[in-house]
Amino acid sequence: MKKKGSPIQTAVVYLILLLFSAAFLIPFIYMISIALSSDATANQAAYTIFPREFEFQNFVRIFTESDVPIWLKNSLILTVCNTVFTLVSSSMVAYGFARFRVKGKGVIFMILLSTMMIPTQVTLIPQFMIFRNLGWINTMLPLIIPNLFGSPFYIFMLRQFIMRLPISLDEAAKIDGMSYWGIYIKIVVPLIKPALAAVAIFAIMGNWNWFFEPMIYLNQTEKYPLAIGVQILSAVGHAGQLPLWNLMMAAAMILVIPMILLFFLGQRQMFELSISTGSDSIK
Amino acid sequence: MKKKRKKKLGRETAWFWFFISPWIIGFCIFTAFPMLASFYYSFTNWDMFQAGSFVGLDNYKKLLGEEMFFKAVYNTFFYAFFYVVLSTLLSLFVAVLLNYPLKGRRIFRTIFYIPTLVPVVVSALLFFRVFAPQGPVNAALGFFGIEGPTWFFSETWSKPALIIMSLWGLGTAFILLLSGLQGIPGELYEAARIDGSGAWAEFRYITVPMLSPVIFYNVVMGIINSLQVFTQVYVIGTNPLMPGGSTGSGGGPGNSLLSIVQLLYIKGFRDYKMGYASAIAWVLLIIILIFTMLIFKSSALWTYYEEERK
Repeated sequence: MKKKGSPIQTAVVYLILLLFSAAFLIPFIYMISIALSSDATANQAAYTIFPREFEFQNFVRIFTESDVPIWLKNSLILTVCNTVFTLVSSSMVAYGFARFRVKGKGVIFMILLSTMMIPTQVTLIPQFMIFRNLGWINTMLPLIIPNLFGSPFYIFMLRQFIMRLPISLDEAAKIDGMSYWGIYIKIVVPLIKPALAAVAIFAIMGNWNWFFEPMIYLNQTEKYPLAIGVQILSAVGHAGQLPLWNLMMAAAMILVIPMILLFFLGQRQMFELSISTGSDSIK
Repeated sequence: MKKKRKKKLGRETAWFWFFISPWIIGFCIFTAFPMLASFYYSFTNWDMFQAGSFVGLDNYKKLLGEEMFFKAVYNTFFYAFFYVVLSTLLSLFVAVLLNYPLKGRRIFRTIFYIPTLVPVVVSALLFFRVFAPQGPVNAALGFFGIEGPTWFFSETWSKPALIIMSLWGLGTAFILLLSGLQGIPGELYEAARIDGSGAWAEFRYITVPMLSPVIFYNVVMGIINSLQVFTQVYVIGTNPLMPGGSTGSGGGPGNSLLSIVQLLYIKGFRDYKMGYASAIAWVLLIIILIFTMLIFKSSALWTYYEEERK
């Protein structure tokens, strides 16, 4: 495989890859082109694949003429709270599963893994009733509070990572009289920072793009996160007019751009962790 | 001595429960109790406003007599089957090509991964435009003299359009395959070459078996996720440009996009038939369990683990 192929072979591979790249990139370029179109073009849906107009004003307009600033603020609150909460709770639980020898741990861990298979819809209706009885409908609490209790997938990822750390560090600290809480805070957490960074990126992306539950629990425009806001723009338009797809795509780009920046900042951690988890979970 | 050890173990146990307590509490409140409750609800005619009564298997019977339900199951299976098969083949193909010694591999890798970063809401809206009757896909087809279909507006072509759209986001599966490929020892290929085997034989007898655990993982995740498809369908189906989008079921032309989760959403959160929606949720859970179990059972036949060789 590492052997150099013949020039013709290389050329064919390049050609196929370039064709695929074009197929993957064109929708992206089209999005930019729509976002930069004028209202006139948008009204006739006469977009071109490559941008022909450059109405950067659209990005200003979505902030002044629509609810994008409010939605953006909601998305930020949701994402920051949930990422912090899930990191703290998931890493605690992961440490518990990785480092303690307790009877029945294996069974509990199997239950945790099997919950990943349960579709969220099965628990959705009773959860909705719980939150309704608490008077939490149309607030962010039903979306935030469950994150205090760890997420099975992140617990699994972090547990795998902790298990790869040498246990001698824990043992040494224990001999020095450090408590388990101290070991978790002072030894484990600093050592799993790369894994925490990766989980943080996944959590940020998940919460930023979250659609289903926010739609169930929130029912006022000014409560929505941006992911739903973009859908609202596509459905009802702004200022009571027909939806303007150029503005809607500009808002969509506000949703996309931070994710791409995040990817370039953290792609190493992300790839490493998802790859090691992928290969662990199949064993 | 023995007593001291026991005490120590007791403390370790206590700390174990302390550390896992967030998940245990969350599991009881947000998973175990709701599962029991929704199982019970599925046998009642409860709506959100009035206490319902026990109706036995009525919801399930009604479900089996409803055309919409079979449509939703058919659409979801169609989507899940073609999505899982095509994304597995395509991501494998691209990963194998990118494992070839080339310049610019990192750039290609980034290009194939980036669409994964686009939120589903956005990719749904974007592909609604990409597949518009006068959009770029049909323009490209027109260039070759083919008159393209109306895609999302056509009962026949709406599901293929949805599947192609989802294939755009195959980056996660692709990255796992690529790293799996890089982990295959080069000696295996060298040995095969000395034996004089061709490229296809290498792919069939080395690459695929060595990658089978990763393929297995991708297939399981693909099935679980695609059987729960909702957001894409909802965003496209309820768009006002879609006939009946703002008033109808939001399942696309002739409900050709309607998915199981979408039916659950309509019955539960629009018609407030919570008992009925709970029955749909349980049918979905059982479908997912059956498929996952089938895949796990069959995996012994087609996945290869290196440990077994040792």
